[in-house]
Amino acid sequence: MITKKSLPRRTFLRGMGTAVALPFLDAMVPALASATTTKPPVRMAFVYVPNGIIMNGWNPEYEGTLGELPRILKPLEQYSQDITLFGNLTHNTGRALLDGAGDHGRCCASYLTGVQPRKTVIDIKAGVSFDQIVANQVGKATRFPSLELGMEDARQAGDCDSGYSCAYTNNLAWKSETQPLPPVLDPRALFERLFGNGLALTPAARARENLYRRSILDFVSDDTRKLETGLGPTDRRKLDEYLSSIREIERQIEKAEKDNTQIDPHMEKPYGVPADFAEHFKLMSDMMTVAFQSDLTRVITFLVTHEGTSRPYREIDIPDGHHPLTHHRNQPDLIEKVTQINSYHVRQFAAWIAKLRTIREGDGSLLDNCMIVYGAGLSDGNRHLHEDLPTLIAGRGGSHFKSGRRIVYRKETPMCNLYLAMMDRMGVHVEHFGDSTGRLDALDLT
Amino acid sequence: MQFPILAKPPVGIVFDSAMGRIDDVLALAMLHGFDGKDQARIAAVCVSRADLQAAQFCDALGRFYASATSGPAAMFMRFAPIGLADGKPAAASVMFSKAAYANAVKNINDTADPATLIRNELMAQYDQNAAVVLSGPATDLAKLLDMQGVKEWIARKVRLLCVADNGLQADAAAAEKVFAEWPTPIVTAGREIGEALPFPGDSIEKDFAYENAHPVAGAYRAFKPMPYDAPSWAMAAMLYAVHPNDGYFKLSGTGHHRELIVDPEQKDRIIRTYIEMASAKPVPRKPRHPVDEKKDEKKDEKKVEAGK
Repeated sequence: MITKKSLPRRTFLRGMGTAVALPFLDAMVPALASATTTKPPVRMAFVYVPNGIIMNGWNPEYEGTLGELPRILKPLEQYSQDITLFGNLTHNTGRALLDGAGDHGRCCASYLTGVQPRKTVIDIKAGVSFDQIVANQVGKATRFPSLELGMEDARQAGDCDSGYSCAYTNNLAWKSETQPLPPVLDPRALFERLFGNGLALTPAARARENLYRRSILDFVSDDTRKLETGLGPTDRRKLDEYLSSIREIERQIEKAEKDNTQIDPHMEKPYGVPADFAEHFKLMSDMMTVAFQSDLTRVITFLVTHEGTSRPYREIDIPDGHHPLTHHRNQPDLIEKVTQINSYHVRQFAAWIAKLRTIREGDGSLLDNCMIVYGAGLSDGNRHLHEDLPTLIAGRGGSHFKSGRRIVYRKETPMCNLYLAMMDRMGVHVEHFGDSTGRLDALDLT
Repeated sequence: MQFPILAKPPVGIVFDSAMGRIDDVLALAMLHGFDGKDQARIAAVCVSRADLQAAQFCDALGRFYASATSGPAAMFMRFAPIGLADGKPAAASVMFSKAAYANAVKNINDTADPATLIRNELMAQYDQNAAVVLSGPATDLAKLLDMQGVKEWIARKVRLLCVADNGLQADAAAAEKVFAEWPTPIVTAGREIGEALPFPGDSIEKDFAYENAHPVAGAYRAFKPMPYDAPSWAMAAMLYAVHPNDGYFKLSGTGHHRELIVDPEQKDRIIRTYIEMASAKPVPRKPRHPVDEKKDEKKDEKKVEAGK
């Protein structure tokens, strides 16, 4: 018998101060509904890497259909049909514009705001970032309007770049022109924010939870069993995979916390953060996956490491600081090290993209319904250039993008033109943003 | 006493031209001459016809004048893109068709939309320290006026628009809009100015001979059979934009829009300046925003130390 009854999209598994959101299941689609009314939501994320990129390892020497990719992008080559690579996008407001030194502070602060930040360490001022404009509208449908994540140093005060406040180098998202949104760095804090309603726990309950180190899924097991009885085999498999992925994240966090004794004393680490960069990245990306999959949010910014960072990469045998290396003065050995760091970052990103591709959603994959921008606020970190910014989008924005291409625009094309085009696909229509001069064209399927 | 670091730099010039006559080429060469002598800075160079070869020539000319710069200054030298009108490709000028000077413009994506480029470059100028020189249709400037918030930027940054009355009629609507809405004073170099102050053709064989393949001399020879003298509307507009208070020209009337008037006593001086600036040799340039690498590295070292 066919009925029009369906599982509500905002169904949660609840138990003992915990509420676990569900992924998009077939049971959430009314049996007689048309495809257009049940399309999964479009999500967007920004993955920001600092200090520019070695551009001759990033830019292919061709336009159009993506084929062989340059060295830094090589890890993405097998997913190139899901990638759109952009050329010549520019952030003019990241340039000095008479404000002198401080390109790292400016490029990060202007990256999503599209405005020139005020040069100061005290009375900071930039602009509302475009992810927040989107979050203010589409965020009403999700538990979290947006998530701000990072992996390094959330210091918000002091001078981080030639008179620019650390608030500029250490944040991507700005709720207002004076209020940046600091990223969450600690995987456990993020996990509890996403899945655990910690405030509802009594001290005794929290103590019990910590004592037995039970999985959060144990608390919702009754709800899970009830739900499973009403699901078809496909949904049961989806639910099982989804809950398994949450359990896997828990295991990684527990492992990371146990591993704390092995943390390299030369690196600043908050409690619970994996010592290994790749492991930390994977943990954060796994949680971003779950957050998108379960529609906890549709907007994420991820500041991989902060702009101007001098983080060494001992994981890949590079003990030198990232930022000093980028001022390579064209010395081949230094360029090689920066290239290795750039490649290392892209490898982690590619692993996330691979995962998003495997998760089925609607008629395609979760990635099909995402726009994941990977990029930097500088192109050439040696010369601090703000043009031809390394920028790609993974995903098809709800099957709107014709991906698998490299599109080169005219020089000086504002990055904010891309943001206008992305806002359209998020269902948020804005006529002008930052220094935009129009919408980026040639993205659509036609 | 004025501290050099606090002094305003020389005027930043936006040059938007059709690059359809040798006068435009000579005006651009003059601008490079002024730049080399620190009397002006090149803010933006735009071609208002969809002529890729003209953009290639403008880019090549910039590289020619930068060729004397070496070392760290060369490493940090930024070649701003050339603005180029889009649309149906215009007939290539004979001045550039045989040119094969080194340049970085392979296709239109190696150039910028003129209005966007001008907007971006104006934002980097000190207040009231920029001037715009227009030679040819006003299409790009009309588009600039239509951009969000740009009229305020023009009013803040630009002190003067100098118009060479040479090709404005190619886009009458744009010219009308610019004359009606441009927020700064406008000065026009009328047709009689260009004809009264011809650039002497014999200068090409004499003053440009320091370089065997001088791009400007090549364009001059290609434009018309030699010898000939070239009218100088764009050069007059350029000279006034850089040196409005040095008595080269008189002005008609008063108000928002005025015209250049030739002072016969200044004629020889003007032509000497034309020749001197247009034929100026490339000189080493300092980087506009020098990077203090040592300071940068020390700061990084401190950060690493602090992290240990």
